[in-house]
Amino acid sequence: MLQYILRRLMLLPLVIVGVTLLIFGMMQMLSPYQLLGLYVKSPDELRNQNMDALVEKYHLNDPVQVKYANWMSNLAKGDLGWSESANMPVLQALLARFPATIELALFSVIPVILGGIFLGAVSAVYHNRPLDQGIRIFAIVGWSLPDFVFGLIVLMIFYGVLGWFPPGRLGTEAEMIVMSDSFTQYTGMNVLDSILNWNWPVFWDAIRHMIGPMITLAYLWWAFILRITRSSMLDVINKDYVRTALAKGVPDRIVTRKHVLRNAMIPVTTVAGQMILGLLGGVVIVETVFNYKGIGSLAATAAQQLDYPMVLGTTMFYAFLLVMINLIVDVLYATIDPRVRLE
Amino acid sequence: MKSNGKWWAIAAVVVVALAVLVPMMNQEKPAEPSQVAVEEPAPVVEEAPVDVADEEAVPAIANSKDTFVFVSIGGGPDSLDGAYSYDSSSGAIIYQIYDNLIQYDGESTENFLPMLATKVPSVENGLLSADGKTYTFPIRKGVKFHNGNDLTPEDVEYSFERLMLADPDGGPCWMFIEPLLGTMTIKDYAMQVAGVDSWEAVDAASLKKVVDDVRASITVDGDNVVFHLKNPYPPFLAILAKNSSWGAIMDKEWMIANGAWDGGDDWTKWHNKAKEEMVAYDKANGTGPFKLASWDKNNVQVILERFDDYWREPAKLKTAYVKYIDEYNTRKLMLEKGEADAVYVDPQYLEQVAQIPGVVTLTKPETANRVALFNETIPVQGNPDVGSGKLDGNGIPSDFFADVNVRKAFAYSMDYEALIDEVLAGLGKRIVGPLPASVPFMNPDNPVYDFDLKKAEEEFKKAFDGQLWEKGFKMTISYNSGNEVRKTAAEIIEANIESISPKFQIDVRPVEWATYLDNLRSGYTTMFFMGWIADFPDAHNFVQPYMQSSGAFAGYMGQHFIDRAKEKYDAIVDKGIKSIDPKVRKEAYDELQRLAYEDVTAIWLYEALQPFAMRDWVKGFSKNPICPAEYDFYKVWNE
Repeated sequence: MLQYILRRLMLLPLVIVGVTLLIFGMMQMLSPYQLLGLYVKSPDELRNQNMDALVEKYHLNDPVQVKYANWMSNLAKGDLGWSESANMPVLQALLARFPATIELALFSVIPVILGGIFLGAVSAVYHNRPLDQGIRIFAIVGWSLPDFVFGLIVLMIFYGVLGWFPPGRLGTEAEMIVMSDSFTQYTGMNVLDSILNWNWPVFWDAIRHMIGPMITLAYLWWAFILRITRSSMLDVINKDYVRTALAKGVPDRIVTRKHVLRNAMIPVTTVAGQMILGLLGGVVIVETVFNYKGIGSLAATAAQQLDYPMVLGTTMFYAFLLVMINLIVDVLYATIDPRVRLE
Repeated sequence: MKSNGKWWAIAAVVVVALAVLVPMMNQEKPAEPSQVAVEEPAPVVEEAPVDVADEEAVPAIANSKDTFVFVSIGGGPDSLDGAYSYDSSSGAIIYQIYDNLIQYDGESTENFLPMLATKVPSVENGLLSADGKTYTFPIRKGVKFHNGNDLTPEDVEYSFERLMLADPDGGPCWMFIEPLLGTMTIKDYAMQVAGVDSWEAVDAASLKKVVDDVRASITVDGDNVVFHLKNPYPPFLAILAKNSSWGAIMDKEWMIANGAWDGGDDWTKWHNKAKEEMVAYDKANGTGPFKLASWDKNNVQVILERFDDYWREPAKLKTAYVKYIDEYNTRKLMLEKGEADAVYVDPQYLEQVAQIPGVVTLTKPETANRVALFNETIPVQGNPDVGSGKLDGNGIPSDFFADVNVRKAFAYSMDYEALIDEVLAGLGKRIVGPLPASVPFMNPDNPVYDFDLKKAEEEFKKAFDGQLWEKGFKMTISYNSGNEVRKTAAEIIEANIESISPKFQIDVRPVEWATYLDNLRSGYTTMFFMGWIADFPDAHNFVQPYMQSSGAFAGYMGQHFIDRAKEKYDAIVDKGIKSIDPKVRKEAYDELQRLAYEDVTAIWLYEALQPFAMRDWVKGFSKNPICPAEYDFYKVWNE
């Protein structure tokens, strides 16, 4: 197992170089002037200055390999340029927004993925019976709803009418506590910080603000994971070893859980990995509707405002996440299915 | 896969029922499934307010009474340094933190009351010399800064001297440099002293003389601070008065400790610094009723805390929040639930918001107007808004708007009536030139361009000797994000011009407020929407920004405009301010208004009532027509 992980880790640098080459290649479609934002230290440098001199200064007219080397050395230093839409350096903005996104992703994983798997399993077990049909239709409706419509509906019902789950990340009162000197922000994730500070009002407030986005994400994405789980389980249910297990008298529940579900998990893991990646990369519309300041809204604003450094920054960020999550997914495969390790 | 027809039918009924019921529960029509749905107002709540909310006790989202939450639009202030910021979004925050020497009396724009000075200088009380050139301000004792330091006359002297020497390009500092030194910028003054034509050529001795003159222009005399003006300058008191962020009184000791100008001779080190490098950019230490608790750029909000040692009665509110959320639906819901005490509402939604129970809407006059200005010399390198940067059908050349026919065509392409009736919901009226109606010397008979696409087409055909019509163009108009009026105004122009010829292409894109200002200052926009809120209520303060070659907007409008202004407008602007004879002034301002029409220096859009939407528990609201802050947190409270 360890050997497998090490082997995968050794491939990582190669993958990353590939990713940077791809992004760098796309960057070459922009003019050197548009790329200046990636190199300047403050926005002021971009103004009141001769653009040609700046292009010269940052070697933007040099041969491609020199440009690539420069860019990589900037990346290695964590220098991703200046973002006009966030009004701060790109990396700083990404780091400031990432805790909010991680928090939402971690909390949404439970209802989205576990809920989806559960519904998929129930569907498969009650194959073609009313419960199965009902669940599938329910999920398909969610899958078909555009996110901005459903997000607004959730916001209107749970905030507008019931007043339970407000938009934003924290209410004003809780925000005041978080901003005060007596509250230490260890991670920027409000739920975790409130536990570390032993502050329950903030804890509940943070949770309350996440439920709206969670409901929206869960309902929108259930169908996806549900259908994979269901079809993969149906596939396994018809296998000989399941029949054997049932024939020798193993209880239904145990067969479902141990023989069927576990074997059906491989495709589900792939999809779940993609979903976690989607959540970590930011959920643009949901973040916008719920005024949840995460990576998604950052990327959306940047794209809308032609803020190239931030768009490239979020792309890089997303690419690195993708590589890392794929690694984790591969390791999980190996845990679930020993055959993968032996390849 | 086998499927059971009966169950499918039942399930389908359930789905249909759900689709109908869910929106009904909300008394909402389902939103249109288009991307626009997020931007547009929620499909109007037409019926009576939702019953559920009334019957059940709504969980307490409403904030405690001593916290005030105002939700505005845009990305927050540009800078909190009064020497740099020249926009209402920044001014609105500076207003709460700093006090000035004097203040306006309530909603008056003419009468003053003392503030950090104990008397308002006038010829009667002997504090204003008969020649109008010396103003004496007795400074109040026992006033504390937020850090506990005492206010001294030296602080007052330092505040204005630092501001004049800092004088960042395109900033507000001209308002002190012009009356006290007689030039528009400190660089101009240095060049005048040295007798040279370029800033680089100014010698060390002249630089020393500049700082000496600045120090001599404002002096401390016992408990008094004396301003020695170069020429009489009638609006001088209005420039100093609260509402102006440039008149904010700062703490000398704190400023120097944080790295600002040390009062010494080597002032150029602190001159024209980048926004972020100025000491008071994101920290503040004033004498005002609120302390800056946090300017939280990640969550895009400003938090202010009551200053308990304020020299007057401390504010009733303990904390004030200014949040910036561009999404109208979110703002509306926050107001509806009482999570926000007041929100910004675009005029077209005001009526809708007024339907919410417990919400009060009102409108207040503003000494201001709104226009669309042209950049007549656009830098094309690295500029995403000009396409190819050439007259080839895929972009616009640098001097696109230097052609008067293009400007005329754009002015004819604006549907003024639709803008005012629909976008402003009738809250505005057209302006006929740079002066709003409430300012003397406005000429109501000045000619205007009406919406007429035929004439617009004729003008386009004349532009660039017919080449433009033949080749077409492509450009982008940017506006500050969250401002629906400007967005729609840009889209009206886009739709009308694109309907004239398929070769004409216009895009519209939003930009964050601070970036919008940065782009303007560096002259990077193509055409742009702007408003001017009076610094002081005089015709000069409207022709100066719009038409003078060194005016507040001149830098945004490009070299072609500046050259024309120097040649044609500057002398007349001068004639207007330098005379006290109303006849001479009228002549000058009539002429300027005529030229504004003839040369289409701008698309003169409208002046409007300013809309407000707040909860009915908000008390003490008042709004001075030239105050940048929508809400004066010192005066308002929640009941």
